[in-house]
Amino acid sequence: MYHFLSTLDRRWIFLLMGAAVTIPILLELQFPEEATSLAHAVFNEIEQLEEGDPVLLAFDYDPASEGELGPMATAFVRHCCEKKLKIYFIALWPVGPQMIDDSINRVIKTDFPDMVYGEDYVNLGFKPGNEGVIKVIVTDLKQLYSTDDRGTDLDQIPMCRDLVNIQSMDLVAEVSAGYPGVKEWVQYAATPYPDQIRLVAGCTGVGAPLLYPYMPEQLKGLLGAIKGAAEYEKLVVDRYDREAGREPDLKYLEGKRRMGPQLVAHILMVVLIVVGNIVFFVGRSREGTNS
Amino acid sequence: MKRTVPMLITGISGFVLLISFFIPYTEGWGEKAAIWFDILAAVAFILGGGNLLKIHFKKISKRAAGWGFSAVTVIAFVATLTIGLGKVGSNPAQQQQMYGSALAQLELSDLPESQTFSVEGQIPTHANKTAVPFIVRDQLTQDGQNITFRGWIQPLQVAALSGFQDELEWLATVEALARAAQPPETLRGKIGYDAGNSRLTFQGRMSQDDQADLKALDSSNATWTAAVESLFQQSRRTSTVDFSSLPAGFKIPGPLKDSLVVDKSKKQLSMTGPMSPGQRAALSNQFRPTPPLPKGPRREAFITAIGKHGPPLNKSQLATLNNLLDGGWNAQQLIIAVSTAGEPQEVRKSARELLDEKTAAEQTGQVADLKPTRTIGETTRLNEAQEDLLRAFAENTAQPVAELTKQLGEAGTLSDPQVSALTRFISQISTTGERNRTLCFALLANGPLSSGQRDFLLDDVRTEFLWHRTAGALFVAAHQPRFPWSGEYREQGSPFWWLYEYTFKPLTASMFAMLAFYVASAAFRAFRAKNLEAILLLGTAFIILLGRTFAGATLTSWLPDSIAGLKIENLTVTIMTVFNTAGNRAIMIGIALGIAATSLKVLLGVDRSYLGSQED
Repeated sequence: MYHFLSTLDRRWIFLLMGAAVTIPILLELQFPEEATSLAHAVFNEIEQLEEGDPVLLAFDYDPASEGELGPMATAFVRHCCEKKLKIYFIALWPVGPQMIDDSINRVIKTDFPDMVYGEDYVNLGFKPGNEGVIKVIVTDLKQLYSTDDRGTDLDQIPMCRDLVNIQSMDLVAEVSAGYPGVKEWVQYAATPYPDQIRLVAGCTGVGAPLLYPYMPEQLKGLLGAIKGAAEYEKLVVDRYDREAGREPDLKYLEGKRRMGPQLVAHILMVVLIVVGNIVFFVGRSREGTNS
Repeated sequence: MKRTVPMLITGISGFVLLISFFIPYTEGWGEKAAIWFDILAAVAFILGGGNLLKIHFKKISKRAAGWGFSAVTVIAFVATLTIGLGKVGSNPAQQQQMYGSALAQLELSDLPESQTFSVEGQIPTHANKTAVPFIVRDQLTQDGQNITFRGWIQPLQVAALSGFQDELEWLATVEALARAAQPPETLRGKIGYDAGNSRLTFQGRMSQDDQADLKALDSSNATWTAAVESLFQQSRRTSTVDFSSLPAGFKIPGPLKDSLVVDKSKKQLSMTGPMSPGQRAALSNQFRPTPPLPKGPRREAFITAIGKHGPPLNKSQLATLNNLLDGGWNAQQLIIAVSTAGEPQEVRKSARELLDEKTAAEQTGQVADLKPTRTIGETTRLNEAQEDLLRAFAENTAQPVAELTKQLGEAGTLSDPQVSALTRFISQISTTGERNRTLCFALLANGPLSSGQRDFLLDDVRTEFLWHRTAGALFVAAHQPRFPWSGEYREQGSPFWWLYEYTFKPLTASMFAMLAFYVASAAFRAFRAKNLEAILLLGTAFIILLGRTFAGATLTSWLPDSIAGLKIENLTVTIMTVFNTAGNRAIMIGIALGIAATSLKVLLGVDRSYLGSQED
C-alpha cells in the first residue's frame, strides 16, 4: 500500500478530482447555506437604497473566472432590478462588456422586460487605462466616456444627461477577478472620497484575503468566491421569492448549485493532504529504521 | 535627449499627480495627467500587439522550439483582430439608423440662409458650468439679445435643451425656438438635418412638388441643389422582394398606397423609397385580431376541430384550454376601455403658460400657485348604438379599425383619446395564429398532441411568420444604412461572437479549471508537515478548506454555544479577519513605504532603470 501511494501516478489524482467535481454535478448535490455577516453587509447596502437611486456595477472579470463570479454578478443585477435602481454598467477588463451583456440578457431582458435601456440601465462599456480610468471618472466621467457601449452620445441618454462623475452614485458594486479590480476601486475611488462613494465587492477566492484589510471602512461588504455568491443569492432569493411565496428561478441559485462540487472537491483536498502526510511520515520512519 | 525627455515626462506627471492629490485647486491638473495616461494605455494595446507579432514572427523564422505554437498564436491574433476591427458580419447599429429616411451629405454652412431662426432670449449657464448639449452645439449661437438656430430643430434636441436648465424662462424660450425652427409648412415632418453627422434627411418618397419646394429654398447654391437632387433619387429607389403567399384578403395598407406595388404573377413586392417602421408595421399587421371564444357552441366547435386531427384532449388539457380561452378578451372589456378614455384628460401646461401665470400673479402681488397640468375635454360616454357596434366587432374582427372608428363617430360622440384607446386595445389583441400557438404549447405541457393537431394549431402562425419575414426583408432592402460600420463587433451571430463564444470562452475557462487538478496533485505531493511553520500552514488550510463549505459547519455543529468560537465556520472568520488582516496590513504598509521611496527615486531621476540600459 505504501509503495502504491508513494509512487502514485498523478493521473489517478486527476481522475479523483474529475470525479469529485463531476459526480456532484450529475447528482445535483446541494447543501443549505447560511449567510455570514459579510454577505449581510453587501445585501443591506443595496437593500437600504431607494427606488431610482443610481448604482454603478463594475464587472471586471473574464470567462476564466465566470464560474466563480458569474452567480454573484447575476445576483447583484437581480437585486438592483428588484429595488428599481438606476444601473450603470462599466468594465475595465477588455472582455468585461461581454460579461455585462451576459448579465443583461440573463436577468434584465428575461425577467425585467419593462426596464428601458437608457432610462433604467445603461452599459458604458470598456475603457483601457486600468486605475487611470477610475481616477478620471471619479471627478469627470464625460472626459473619458462621451458615448455608451453602443456608441450613443451620453447627452442623448436620459439617465446620463446630467451625470457628472461617479461620486453621484449611491453605491458602487465591483465584481473583480484581479487587476484592475477591487483594490484599485478602493484606492482611487472609495479612499479619496469616503463620504461620497460607498463600495461593496465580490471577488475570487484567492483575491479575498488581500481585501480584508480594507473592511469595513473603505469596503462596506465583500463576497468571497462562490461561497459568498451562494450566501448573497440566498438573501436575495429569501427576500424577493420566498417572502412572495414563489419558487425562485434556478439561475438565481447557481451559486448554491456550484457549492456542491466545491464541497466534495475540498474534502478530497483534505483527504489528499492527510494521505500525503501519512506517506511522508511512514517514509521518514522507514528511512530512519533503515539507516 | 533620448533619456532626458522620458525622464522629464515621468517626473512632471508624477509630481502633478502628487500635488493634485493634496491640493484641491490642482485637482484638474491631475485629471488631465490621468487622461493622458489613459490615452497612452490605449496606445500601449497597439504596441503590445506589435510586440507580440514581432516576438512570434522571430521565433517562426528561426524555427525555434515551439514555433508551431507561435504560428497558431499569430494566426489566431490576426484572424481575431481582422474580424473584430472589420466588424465582419455585423449589422449597422440600430440606434444610429434613420429608418424611413433618405440621406445626403451636406455641411451646415450649405443649408439655406433662410433656414436660420432666431428667438429672443439668453443661453443660460448650466449649474455644473458645462457647455450646451453636444447635439445642438454646432447649430445654436447667442446673437446679441437673440438665440439663433441654424436648420430645423429635432425633438431630441428640444429635449436636450429643455434638460439643460429647468428655469421657466429658459423652458419658454426653448418652446419658442422649437416652434420657430421648423421647415416650411409643406415640408414639415419630411425634411430634417442632422448637424452632428452633416446629413440632410428626407422621410418617405419625395414628390416632384417637394423637390421643387426644397430647391426653391436656395436655388443659387449648387451644393444645396445637388443634395436635394441626391435625396430625390434615393427616395425613389425601388426595392423588390419575393413572397410565398399573400395573406387572405390582402389590401395595400393606407400608409403604403403610393409606394408599394404587388406583382401577384411574379410573387414580388416592390417598394419605392425607404420604408418607415410605421409602414413596416402596417404591412406586417395583415392578420385580423382573433375574436373571443366564450363558453358555448363556438368553443365546443373549436375543441371538436382539435379532436378531429388526433386523439381527444385529456382532462388536464381541456382545463388548460378553457382557462386560457376564459382569460382572453371580450366585448365588455373593449367597451370599458373606450368608455374610460372618455374622461377629461390631464395635460401638462407649456412653460409659456406657466410663465404667464407666474408673471400675472407677481403683478398682482400674489404668490404664484403653479399647477403643472390642466384639464381638457369633457366626459364622453358611449351610447347604446356605439356599444352595439363594439359588440358586433367582437363577433367579426375582420372589420378594419378605420371603418369601425368612422361608424362609432357617426353613431355618437367619440373623442380623440377614445379613438386612441380603441386602436391601442385592438392592436394588443393576439391574432388567431398567436392564440393557437399559445394554446398548442400549453396543451403540449399537459399531454400529447398528434402531428395533425400540432399542424392544425400552428399552421396560422407559420403563415403569419412567413409574411412578417417578407415585410422585414422589404424593410431591410428599402433601408439606406447610415454609418454601415456602426454595428457592434460582438453582435450575436457575427464571426467575432462565434470566436468568443466557442473558442475564447471555453479555452480560458478550461485553463482556469485545470488549476483544480494541479492543486490537488500538489496537495498530495508537496503539502507536508515538515516543520512548525508547515504544520501551522497545514492547520490553517484545513480550517479554511472545511470552513468554506457545509461540511465544516456540520462537523462542529455539536459544539455548545459557550464555545461557539471553536466552530469551524467561526474559526474561519477569525483567521480571515484577525490573523490574515493583521498580516496583510503589515505587508501592505511595508509595500506602501517601499513604493513611496522608489517613486521618489524615480521622480527625482536617481533611479533610471525604467529607461533601459545605456547601450540601447
